[in-house]
Amino acid sequence: MTSLLDQTAARAGRSVLRPPRLLVAIAVGVALVFVAPFAYLVWRNVELGADLGQVLRDEITQTAIRNTLVLAAAVTIAATVLGTSLAWLVVRTDLPGRRIWAAVLPLPLVVPSFVGGLALLAAFAPGGLVVEALQPLGIDTMPQVRGFTGAFSVLTLLTFPYVYLPVAARLRAVPISIEEGARALGRGPFAVFRTVVLPQAAGSIWAGALIVFLYVLSEFGAVKLLDYHTLTTEIDAAKLIDQSAAAVHSLVLGLLALICVSAERIITRRRMAFEAVSTAPIRPAALRRWKPLATAFVAAVVTLALLLPIAVLGLWTSRGLTGDRISGTGVGSAGVATEAWNTAWVSVIAALVTVALVLPLAFLAARYRSRASAPASVVVTAGFALPGLVIALAIVTWTFRTSVGATLYQTFPMLVLAYVVHFGAQALRASQVAVSAVPRRLDDAARSLGAGRWRRLRTIDGPLVLPGLATGFGMVMMSVMKELPATRLLAPIEFSTLATEIYGLAEETLYARAGFRSLLLILVSGLLTWLLVIRPQSPPEQAP
Amino acid sequence: MMRLRTVLRPATIAPLAIVMLASALGACGGGGGDACDGRLTVYSGRTEPLIGPILDSFNEQSDIDVCVRYGDSAELALVIDAEGDRSEVDVFISQSPGAIGYLAGEQRLAPLSEATLGLVEDRFESPNGHWVGLTGRVRVLVYNTDLVDAASLPESIFELTGPEYRDKVGVASTNGSFQDFVTAARGRLGDAEVLAFLEGLAANGAQNYASNAAIVEAVGRGEISYGLVNHYYALQARRENPDLPVANHFFADADLGKLILVSAGGVLATSDQPEAAETLLQFLLGGESQTYFSEQTFEYPLAAGVAPTGELANQPLASIVGPEGDLAALGGGLEATAAMIRESGLGR
Repeated sequence: MTSLLDQTAARAGRSVLRPPRLLVAIAVGVALVFVAPFAYLVWRNVELGADLGQVLRDEITQTAIRNTLVLAAAVTIAATVLGTSLAWLVVRTDLPGRRIWAAVLPLPLVVPSFVGGLALLAAFAPGGLVVEALQPLGIDTMPQVRGFTGAFSVLTLLTFPYVYLPVAARLRAVPISIEEGARALGRGPFAVFRTVVLPQAAGSIWAGALIVFLYVLSEFGAVKLLDYHTLTTEIDAAKLIDQSAAAVHSLVLGLLALICVSAERIITRRRMAFEAVSTAPIRPAALRRWKPLATAFVAAVVTLALLLPIAVLGLWTSRGLTGDRISGTGVGSAGVATEAWNTAWVSVIAALVTVALVLPLAFLAARYRSRASAPASVVVTAGFALPGLVIALAIVTWTFRTSVGATLYQTFPMLVLAYVVHFGAQALRASQVAVSAVPRRLDDAARSLGAGRWRRLRTIDGPLVLPGLATGFGMVMMSVMKELPATRLLAPIEFSTLATEIYGLAEETLYARAGFRSLLLILVSGLLTWLLVIRPQSPPEQAP
Repeated sequence: MMRLRTVLRPATIAPLAIVMLASALGACGGGGGDACDGRLTVYSGRTEPLIGPILDSFNEQSDIDVCVRYGDSAELALVIDAEGDRSEVDVFISQSPGAIGYLAGEQRLAPLSEATLGLVEDRFESPNGHWVGLTGRVRVLVYNTDLVDAASLPESIFELTGPEYRDKVGVASTNGSFQDFVTAARGRLGDAEVLAFLEGLAANGAQNYASNAAIVEAVGRGEISYGLVNHYYALQARRENPDLPVANHFFADADLGKLILVSAGGVLATSDQPEAAETLLQFLLGGESQTYFSEQTFEYPLAAGVAPTGELANQPLASIVGPEGDLAALGGGLEATAAMIRESGLGR
């Protein structure tokens, strides 16, 4: 049967590989928008007469580049291990409380990194809450949390969902039969994980790892707070007082991202090839004697990544409950409700638009051989490494100086555009994995039965691709919720979200207000993620 | 496998989707070139909880309506710069002299009238009259009251390079207020002496922090004993957490460490309602506003004969020298300041 289908596919080969012109046009059009921030950086460097060579020879810059790459690599490795193992435990084993873990494990993504950093300091820095609590027990030496250790810990704990989400979505679709076969041959759960599950999920793991890597390149809040010097802290320090230095450092960041994304494409080109899909319910692997250890592991991650920040935020909020207009939480004011509602609808709509816009490119890259797809994917993906401020300034510059752009300036559509450019990479990677996981033979079979392109899209591709798209949607939604610089600068005037308030408040030591809004942010994202991403994906369970 | 029917079950999604779409369409109607509908457009680097109440009061009392975007002073200044001649912004309120000085240097601010500038002492306005100070903050040494004996506190900032302060002092080397201090110091002492001091701090193990707020937190935890910050952070932090063991120490009157920095306001050269814009600045320098800033945000009032309150009452403005002449450097001198801080190794 396979051979017959393969023959069909082979005969139809040429038409399968040649993409529809409309698809190419849309994909290229979308990708051109993502060129805007890179073009802006080049233009800025030329305009300011910045000397790239001289900056690259500067010792401080070299240290910043090295620090950035070391941190990004370390966090990527740790977050990938963490995210992958958590996804497997939650999706494919009989871990107790899987439904609850599945609902809360994505949430660290929405904790703004500087909030995570503040929580880490409040707990583990000398004189912090945890340190004080442990002192009576005779434990008075803690690892230094400032610098690399702190930045690495916070970012790993906050970014592992970038790997967890796509891998969990993928593992829900891997046929259980292969795993059962391995188990029937006497392999234990961890051997099955290594030999069967890991190869099946490789595409998703790579996709998540790359997003983590790029996120760390662009990360700014936690590294600045924890005093670890990277390219982004150099850009921040120079943004106003030495703009040509800021422009060069931003360009270096952009180039690093382009290089790393291109390298990743070359390494993984073959792995993305052909992956199977199952619609059968999952029978979880028995953890047996590993169950307590596995449960403790998942609980520890949730405690550190989510409960600890929530506890610190709760403490801040409680201090403001009796406060006045300034030092209070602002709980009763109508403003908070508006901010929460704005946060919710803007993030949902921006995530929908982002997924819809990058989907054609995902199809083009995963299904067809097109010269346009490689550079388009690279530029869309690499854009994620640019700081939000750069993207915002690029959009201001390109739009406000033309009369058409000026009418759109600081409108809602423009804000959504900024989110698309900033976070398109997340949706693209998730969508590419989803699209390439659909077995081509299903499509070919349908074609040979006379089903047209749209019918195949609706009946075959659509349902199979949807979980992957939902994952991308969820990641973009949570990123938008916590996004700060672009929101503050490009949103319609007097439009406030939870995130726009939080950062400024914390800078003014108005922690009660900042803490309350952060808690609300976690709550809103938790509800939306569960409603729109987690619940629809949870499979009908079956006893092992 | 996703259960399509569950996702798309109208009862769950439809109401949510409809309301969200309605919000989006509603929002699309707004915005655009003139989202403020002829109202006075203000970009404020001071946060809403701190300045919002007084802007509300201005809305009520005058026939001018304001429309405000809050953000980081430096980022807002960069956006105004990028907006160019089409900018709709009328008034820029800056957290520090650095950001507004940048816009003045880019020729983006209109000279203010004598009616506005005359409200404050000359030393609290830009030399060319492009911006005016609204409130004052004084640089202090914040210290941990559990760890430090108040009697042993230094008279001069230059003592901080001594061995008793080794590894115990926090600075925010990339923060605007620290940079402004360095710029002012360069104006008064010359580059060589300031660089030597910064190198001394670095060699003495001064710890680098992200911001004034982060320093006050670290001092409160006892991670460090001292920090160089603006005075109101400790007061603000204690308002929320009265148990926090932090207090301000003022350097001696003539000491460079006791520098006054201002938050400031200016009118954009491209504003189409410069008179209303100046009316707002004058209101912010009036009795009601200055009293509000003094009592609610713990800052120095700069105008209207309002007296400072709390611990500032013992430190009258007249006792603090500067920043006469020092601010002139803030337009173009910041780049050199940043380079000097980098060179000193502070924060590395």
